[in-house]
Amino acid sequence: MTRWPEILVGALALIAPVCAFTKPIAFANGTTVMLEYGAGTMWEAQIFYAPQYNYSVGGGHVEFDSDTTLETVRVTYARFNYLLHRWNLESAQANVFVWGGAGAATGNSFSGTELTGNAGAQADYETRRIYASLKADLQKANSFSIRVDTLQLGIAPYKHDYNQIATWFVVQARQYTDDIHHGTELAALVRLFKGGAWIEAGITNGGRLQAMAMFNF
Amino acid sequence: MNPHRILLAVLLLLVPVMVRAATIQMHVNGLVCAFCAQGIEKKLRKFPATADVVVSLGQHLVAVALKDGEDIPDPELRKALTNAGYTVTAIERSDTSIEAIRSRLGQPKP
Repeated sequence: MTRWPEILVGALALIAPVCAFTKPIAFANGTTVMLEYGAGTMWEAQIFYAPQYNYSVGGGHVEFDSDTTLETVRVTYARFNYLLHRWNLESAQANVFVWGGAGAATGNSFSGTELTGNAGAQADYETRRIYASLKADLQKANSFSIRVDTLQLGIAPYKHDYNQIATWFVVQARQYTDDIHHGTELAALVRLFKGGAWIEAGITNGGRLQAMAMFNF
Repeated sequence: MNPHRILLAVLLLLVPVMVRAATIQMHVNGLVCAFCAQGIEKKLRKFPATADVVVSLGQHLVAVALKDGEDIPDPELRKALTNAGYTVTAIERSDTSIEAIRSRLGQPKP
């Protein structure tokens, strides 16, 4: 796997406040760029535009590099994200997102390019002090079916306001199917965001870098 | 025509302008993160009548400063916030300046 995603995330960490959670739809008429480096096992780049607050369209590229086999898979895809439901509470917000799309995949365990399907869902709950999210994302083709399940729990040491840097301490548990990684990968992360930018970085129980950045504009 | 009546008519015409609110304060549910504030601010600044916008996550408050002599009807404000994905629970108009609101919230000037 190439090293440039790690370098890119590192560079972004220098120019933006190092970092509550990613959403496939930030706000109406907004563009969201997300970059994730997943401990050497996965990296992903996504860009979405939301014409309205409840849906966005865009695409991305994801690469998987198995920890346990020699398998590598690269998928470039187009995706539609939809906010299934939002609960606006006085001091909290909860969301359920779903998405689906299609793309093309290459890999070293099959020849040529395969058509892929992509589907996923995310449920989250956030106040200004606590945060929880559960996400499942599936990439499927004839030769592979890779699902990534991610649970995140976060706590903020102080209540941030607009124009202040928000700090979150997050624990993440992630599981991959298709022999990408055996067992549950745990990570401790620090997340900072301000305005339309946030970055998180941390380390997994395997001692690897886990990092993510998101920008809304 | 009696000049007193003319003067009275002119004053009556001016009254709505003179008492027009300087700011609109909206209480909004679901405001928990900077992204929420960013989206709402972006939406409200598109109104030609908007002079400035202040968002407070702590007070669940969105304040819009109006340009002199201009206004934004409540239904348009509610529609804008609803279309941004949030729930407006109250709309209040006052002559409090946006600077005073910003100061009360402890927010720096932009």
